[in-house]
Amino acid sequence: MDIREMVERISQKIASKGKTPDKKKIETKLRRLIEEFGVHANEAERTVLNELAKEYSLSSITAKSSDMKEIGSLLPGEWVTIEGKVVSLSTPPTPAIAQAGILADPSGAIRFVVWSRAGTPPLTEGSWYRIESAVVDEYRGSPSLSIHTGTTIAPSDQDIPIIPEIKKISELKPGIGNLRAKMIQEWEPSHPRMLQVGLLGDESGTIKFTIWKDSGKEPLELDKVYSIYYAQVDEFGGRLGLNLTGAMYVPEEMEIVVRSGETVSGALVHIAPGSGLVKRCPVDGCNRVLSRQNYCPVHEIQSTFRYDLRIKGVLDSGTKTYNLLISRPVVEQMTGMSLEAAVELAENNPLGMDEVFFKMRDLVQGRYFICRGSEMEDRVLVKECTPLAYDTRNLADLLNRAGGAP
Amino acid sequence: MNGSSRQSGSFEREPAKRVFSQELREARYHFKEGTEEKSPTYVLLPTGERANRVFLVGTLTEKERKGDQNMFYQARIADPSGTFYIIAGSYQPDAMQQIARIDPPAFVAVVGKPSVYDTPTGAALVSVRAESITAVDADTRNLWVLDAARCTLDRLDRLGSDDDSRKAVEIYRTDPVIYRKMVFDALAQLKL
Repeated sequence: MDIREMVERISQKIASKGKTPDKKKIETKLRRLIEEFGVHANEAERTVLNELAKEYSLSSITAKSSDMKEIGSLLPGEWVTIEGKVVSLSTPPTPAIAQAGILADPSGAIRFVVWSRAGTPPLTEGSWYRIESAVVDEYRGSPSLSIHTGTTIAPSDQDIPIIPEIKKISELKPGIGNLRAKMIQEWEPSHPRMLQVGLLGDESGTIKFTIWKDSGKEPLELDKVYSIYYAQVDEFGGRLGLNLTGAMYVPEEMEIVVRSGETVSGALVHIAPGSGLVKRCPVDGCNRVLSRQNYCPVHEIQSTFRYDLRIKGVLDSGTKTYNLLISRPVVEQMTGMSLEAAVELAENNPLGMDEVFFKMRDLVQGRYFICRGSEMEDRVLVKECTPLAYDTRNLADLLNRAGGAP
Repeated sequence: MNGSSRQSGSFEREPAKRVFSQELREARYHFKEGTEEKSPTYVLLPTGERANRVFLVGTLTEKERKGDQNMFYQARIADPSGTFYIIAGSYQPDAMQQIARIDPPAFVAVVGKPSVYDTPTGAALVSVRAESITAVDADTRNLWVLDAARCTLDRLDRLGSDDDSRKAVEIYRTDPVIYRKMVFDALAQLKL
């Protein structure tokens, strides 16, 4: 029983009638009924709503809202009636939610949740329903339709064909989206419930995707192109990601040239500790960097290890900073120091691996580079990095700019 | 080696501003964003941007070791428009160890935080507390002059269009003509 949720629902109902409800007051009333008088949550919510409706002289607040909305036009905070088809159902994340899935009509699609307390009969995938008095919430930056005790659901005999509109990755917005993209990278799942995590790409860019374990869910195949319908586009810290758990994906016999990665340029203003020569855990598939005591965060003390080179640094364009992760081949080419040379330097020097760090730092820090690579989380995995060349054409342009204005 | 370690995650590092010494020397106004002890401090540049960190490349012309207990280095770095004053102390061990190994004259790249000192005579002195100093080549110096010129012109183009920029005009009575000439003169010292 979540009182805050009830407060939200009540205040949204009131707000939808153009009044400004006092949330604090609603909460106090609810708590009094539930905690002091042991009133059942549903009953308490109904009571408070009716009380407020009277107070604001709103007649039929729980009555049917007559204006039908198109799914594609729904906005958070609205109190709506829609008609749509259940195009996907997924296992709810918590017992408080009876059903979760995606509803669509020809104008678009929206995620929905049916709260267990709503007590409505279960929806079936592929069927049309008329849903009255549902609330549009916001979940991770995208609209989500909430079906609660005040919502009524009736089967509908509607059957308009729905043709989902395929969008380019660069045009996706939080909500539900359809795309045609190639699976270009598979990453290590960070959670035991994760089935697969990786990167999808099309001609316009790339996007991270996640599939959570659910009955009947299959992972995507690397380097294969898929048509993906009803993917959930979420926003995390200003970056979009796809959740394909509730999506449909169909493999396609076609090829897509992915515009992969980003090109960034600027000055290398910081070389982070842990750059230079590192030791990696020898356990199969681990590869983590060992600490000074040859300690792996997962496999503990190791007696053997593999040497590797890497640079973790910050590239600064003057207006934006990028965290770079540069792997051995690129480090060797940037610094002119091979892995063998670095190992030899470390083994024959009193400062050991620190000596390699200092040498490499002095060779690259403060220089301008242009780097190409793929962005992952908040890092750029650098595949290519070349020193920026001094070009007198830029000088001529800037001279004109500086002297050209009065 | 971990003097300037940083947290990854949602924290985004602020870009280092490119500014010619002539402009930085004119900066007086400094402020803190937020009230906590660790809140970042900024110097407002006359052309209208706040700088928490600067990146500069020039010629190290002089360095001097000072202090006994709290040893630090003071250095002068020349760019086409004048001189930067650099300090590397025990709170910047990386920079201090780096500068110890560089003999003037040499092209150097410096990443550091600008700060304004009010002297007893009422004048203000701007210096840069270096986080790192590396010896670089002439090409890097030339690239920086172009970079600083471009950034300065960009700031001048936006002058008066946002809060920081309006504030700079109010405080410094910034004359864009002077700064355009500074940029032009700096560029003119490079070979076409």
